[in-house]
Amino acid sequence: MKNVLLKLGIVFCLVLMATPALAAADLVVAVDTPPRTMNPHGSDADANLSVMANFFDGLLQLSGGEFKPALAERYEHPDLLTWKFFLRKGVTFHNGNAFDAKDVKFSFERLSDPEVSEFTNTGKSIDTIEIIDDYTVVIKTKEPIPWFANNLHQIFIMDKESTEARDPGEVGQKPIGTGAYKLVEWVKGSYLRLEANENYWEGAPPIKTVEVNPITESSTRFAALVSGKVDLVTGVPVELYDKVAANPKLETINRPARRAIFLALGNAPGAPAADIRVRKAIYMAIDEDEIVEKVMRGQATPTAQVPDPATIGYNPDLQRYPFDPAKAKALLKEAGYENGFEITLAAPNDRYVQDAQIAEAVAKYLAKVGIKVNLDVKPKSVFFPEVQEGKHDFYLIGWLDGAFDMGRTYFNLLHTLDKERGYGTWNGTRYSDADIDRLLQSTTHIVDQAERAKTLQELNKLAMTDKIAWIPLHYQQDIYALQKAAQVKFVPRADRWMVYKEISK
Amino acid sequence: MLTYILRRLIQGGVVLMGVTLICFVIFRYMGDPVQTLAGQYATTAEREMIRQAFGLDQPAYVQYGRFLANALQGNFGVSYVSRVPVLGLILERFPATFELALVAVSLAFTIGLVLGVVVSLKPYAVHNRLIMAGSLAGISIPTFLIGILLIMVFSVWLEVLPPFGRGETVTVGFWRTGLLTADGLKHLVLPAATLAMYQLAVLMRLTRAGMREVLAEEFIKTAWAKGLPPFKVIFKHALRNVMIPVVTMTGLQFGEILAFAIVTETIFQWPGMGNLLLTSIYESDQPVIATYIMLAALMILIINIVVDILYALLNPKIRYD
Repeated sequence: MKNVLLKLGIVFCLVLMATPALAAADLVVAVDTPPRTMNPHGSDADANLSVMANFFDGLLQLSGGEFKPALAERYEHPDLLTWKFFLRKGVTFHNGNAFDAKDVKFSFERLSDPEVSEFTNTGKSIDTIEIIDDYTVVIKTKEPIPWFANNLHQIFIMDKESTEARDPGEVGQKPIGTGAYKLVEWVKGSYLRLEANENYWEGAPPIKTVEVNPITESSTRFAALVSGKVDLVTGVPVELYDKVAANPKLETINRPARRAIFLALGNAPGAPAADIRVRKAIYMAIDEDEIVEKVMRGQATPTAQVPDPATIGYNPDLQRYPFDPAKAKALLKEAGYENGFEITLAAPNDRYVQDAQIAEAVAKYLAKVGIKVNLDVKPKSVFFPEVQEGKHDFYLIGWLDGAFDMGRTYFNLLHTLDKERGYGTWNGTRYSDADIDRLLQSTTHIVDQAERAKTLQELNKLAMTDKIAWIPLHYQQDIYALQKAAQVKFVPRADRWMVYKEISK
Repeated sequence: MLTYILRRLIQGGVVLMGVTLICFVIFRYMGDPVQTLAGQYATTAEREMIRQAFGLDQPAYVQYGRFLANALQGNFGVSYVSRVPVLGLILERFPATFELALVAVSLAFTIGLVLGVVVSLKPYAVHNRLIMAGSLAGISIPTFLIGILLIMVFSVWLEVLPPFGRGETVTVGFWRTGLLTADGLKHLVLPAATLAMYQLAVLMRLTRAGMREVLAEEFIKTAWAKGLPPFKVIFKHALRNVMIPVVTMTGLQFGEILAFAIVTETIFQWPGMGNLLLTSIYESDQPVIATYIMLAALMILIINIVVDILYALLNPKIRYD
């Protein structure tokens, strides 16, 4: 017995010694959301696209806030429905296969399959994909889609041969792309290890190995940073911000996030909010500066609109209606609601920074001008389906446009619900305004970017200032923290993606 | 004995059916999986298409029947989130949770037993009273607080133990283990301690109560009078009679920790099953949740049967005929 134990002990020690001390990666990162899948079309959430952007390339890429060529060297847009792409030559996938037109056709066709894709909307909007030669592809859409090209940085191109040959489960776990990094190992719930693709068409990235640790619990992410286990964290929570900022070893980087938080308010005939004076009163009763200061602890920027400055349709001239409860009361009196009315405000409690607390603050402000607000706060998995079913006519929500073109978002969130044409899917309050719909529909045929911007800005002003279709609150803040000693050169992206080829030391 | 086990297994099967049925009923109120499956910009028509593709447009009893029929053939479906087979997804996480639970329960069992015996021998000594007071803290402080406190002290202030993850792991066959590397063991300390804290306190109090009762019995006095060495009296004669409730408790706790170490796993970003369950609940990933709960029920069932068998070994008077 003793002998066996001794032998076991020796084996154990040998194993301990034999374990190679794995060198830490050049860059160790902790992110707040784990990736869901390694299938680049399997999730359209930014948290997943952020990881995919390292393994795959789109036809275009978004870099420094501009669309630049990636797998397509250039494209033409000869008429409203046609997009012609001239592909880059000499690019290879991680498995050595050459990239050409058949991979593009395959990838875009794959978008329509709901079993593997969350981009069915893009997939179904395509009419035909024609291969002219190995390096020229023509895509025709069913209807004019002015923002078609603006979406191409997140439609990733897969290798036709290996994707078809492998089982879908395997495709969802082992990415084979053309990207700047290859996946070495993915231990779900634990870490991803990335290794530089030395044959990358843009040149090998400066950082050779990256370890990404998704840590969902924010206090643990904070501990990982403070204890020096990671070089860089995303999603520093507002309640820990002061502690991070005060730590001499750490550096924080803040930038206004693309996502705007706003209140959607229905205008069903007969409801108090159908009266523009009531809408204005609600707007003016809310002290947004105090929400930013007290609820968001300074980590937010008040806004008068929903698109962020990078999005086409952002109108720099828009101003918030001032906070003025006396004026709000007067407006309510004018509209015949001197004694106020009752309304229910719905909000998720696990989706946006301080979401439930913002809703509580709004309820408090509205109570001061005589509007009784019933709060209906619930988890996002219940809240969002209810919004789509049209259950709520007053709710808090956040949005950003992934294609950097407000046209798509307005059709989804602001246009009158039209199930036939697929408009207003996210217009949960069933808000409806003929002027807005008309102006919005006129934009589908505008392709010229300057002209689009002008019309969408006009639409934005009409919706925000004249009609008060929504009550905008603020842009969230993206907060990152770094170890000063790691000397990482990092500029956060507007879309919050972590693209490691853009980071250096 | 054999018929007894067989009967227990059949009962277990019925319990499992009940569990899945309850899961399915709850899912009706847990949010719409189409929300997870469809992209943000999917139109109403596209959402309907997705609903049909995944069979979610059919009545609940049809969906339930299909789930059962597939489950009997070992096919638990595909995750709505990662779109890979559910069973593999869960089993892949099993080693992490099993190792954590095993270490935590072993810690709780040995330390709890030893402390319980020590305390029972001189119940009124000052240091023993302190231990008892400490055990109250172990029972009443919530797990997440213990976890965060341990992280603050050992990772942030003292910087001796890592705050998250499993560290370096080695793969033996399909089993990814952290028990064979120094780094892996270091990562195990804090979460195992957090998880063991409550169980330790319970086991200690249980042992102490039992020991105090047994130590007053006539046969123990006889043993002392015979002049047996204290070691034999305490461990062979007294402790053995206390073991039955302690083993039952340990078994139940092991099952519970294995199935529901959710809070600890989340705080320490431990890549185990509890962590997966929580993420899946947030995302309404119903196939993962249903399969997980079925497997958890199965595990607890098996552990209970094993505990029953252990009874017979500990107390030959117990027979199951």
